[in-house]
Amino acid sequence: MRMTKASARTGLLLLALTAGLLSAQDGERGSTPYFQSRAFNVPILEGWDDQSGEDFAQFHQAEARATIRTAIAPAAEALDAAGAELSATFGFDLDPPVYQGRVNLADGTWHTLVYDIDAETTASVMARQDGGRGVVISFVERDAAARTLMLTIAQADDSLADASPEIAIALESLAGLSLSELQRADSQTLPSGEWTVYAGESVMAMGMIFGNDAYVALQMGEAGDLAALAEAYNRTLLGFFITPDNSQYLALGLAVVFVILAALVGSLYWREKNVQKDLALLRELAREDE
Amino acid sequence: MGEIKALAQEDLRLETSVPPRLLRLLSLVTVLGFGGTLFLGLRAAGTDIQQGEIQRIFYIHMPSFFGAFTAFGLTVVGGALYLARGSEKWDRIALAGVEVGLAFSLINLLTGSIWARPIWNTWWTWDPRLTSAAIMCLTYAAYLMLRAGIDDRMRRRAFMSVYGILAFVTVLITLFIIRVVPETIHPVIVGASPQNAQGGFEATSGVVTALIPSLLLWLTLLPITLMWHRVRLEERLDALDRLKMRVLSE
Repeated sequence: MRMTKASARTGLLLLALTAGLLSAQDGERGSTPYFQSRAFNVPILEGWDDQSGEDFAQFHQAEARATIRTAIAPAAEALDAAGAELSATFGFDLDPPVYQGRVNLADGTWHTLVYDIDAETTASVMARQDGGRGVVISFVERDAAARTLMLTIAQADDSLADASPEIAIALESLAGLSLSELQRADSQTLPSGEWTVYAGESVMAMGMIFGNDAYVALQMGEAGDLAALAEAYNRTLLGFFITPDNSQYLALGLAVVFVILAALVGSLYWREKNVQKDLALLRELAREDE
Repeated sequence: MGEIKALAQEDLRLETSVPPRLLRLLSLVTVLGFGGTLFLGLRAAGTDIQQGEIQRIFYIHMPSFFGAFTAFGLTVVGGALYLARGSEKWDRIALAGVEVGLAFSLINLLTGSIWARPIWNTWWTWDPRLTSAAIMCLTYAAYLMLRAGIDDRMRRRAFMSVYGILAFVTVLITLFIIRVVPETIHPVIVGASPQNAQGGFEATSGVVTALIPSLLLWLTLLPITLMWHRVRLEERLDALDRLKMRVLSE
């Protein structure tokens, strides 16, 4: 019995040590570090302050006064989820969005919303429905020196490899400017792709084609950090994916394992009982004969 | 009747139904180990961020195949040694290997099918690996049916020894077919997956750390413990049969 207890203690110690080693798996997808919750996954933004909680991912950059947040909001409509998320989390009193559109990405239809909250705050949001809940990815910027906006637009002319038409749409909708008022600058190659760049007086616009959509970033002001912010936001947007909830299949699989093992052990037990019964019968016969 | 008593006393297997101390200890360690590996696979290991919770079934699916491999391998050893030496204890080991191995194969096959439903969007497909695994199961199920159908003990043991050795070909085919036939969607975790594989995942340190204890358990402790219990039962069944024969012959 002493030996059994020692074996059990050794086993438990080994399990505890092994469990400690396992944390390395969490939040990894290949070599990319991922924030992982039970509902969704997004890449962790390097160089940003990680303010994530158990069920939301939030990254903040103090210098740019920008926050990128991904969360699930319980709402029947994606637009309601977006509004609820901005109001509840950031405490914004929302006016109607200054831009609203829809775009079909690989994982479903996303609503694109841009809000001017106050003189120094803007919010760019992507939201989509996922069952009875809404997924909301928001970019909030509170820099008085700049007005930075992000939006995704279905490609206007899919024969073009660059995002100039979509940049023009964004400039006109959100800054009241024509593309001809800006100068085309050298393209920028970022980890997310090749970005078309336009620059004007205190205005910068960038756009990238990915799939059939254009990812556009605008900045009015002199902050000069648009490329870094656009990269971070689109890294989140393009890297986002929902973890499927298939735990019921796992439960079914485990039930099958237990049933088969129980059937095997049970049949051994049942047959052993039959041996004992037969033996008792034979002994009874032997006694009667004697 | 004195003869019956003598036989019963001589055959301690029939007198005591309590397993030997080592087997009881082994059973306890196996149960603890099974619980421990379940904890590692279900609680301690992280959730696969692409496949979700169902990926955890892998910590049983793959080890159960290797458990079957051990059991069926011991059937080959038992069959070969029975043919070489003629001792019935080797035939009991061969039989125990088939029963335990078949249970493990069914676990492997069914957990794979359950995994496939959310990942491949189907319960079953006639993929080479799945087909060969199903044939393997049927081959060993046929072993048990054939064995039950042969009355003559000596013929039964000899025939089933040969069958058990030949049946192992289906195990080897199941093991290696994925490396030989490229038209498979079954993923490979260790080494490069086939081009068409669907539902693979990386063997990260977390996966490996959860997998290795489970693999060791299913490869050694589980089949050996269960087979020992089954061999013991077969010894008692044989002894009981002998006893019955004596009673009937008197």
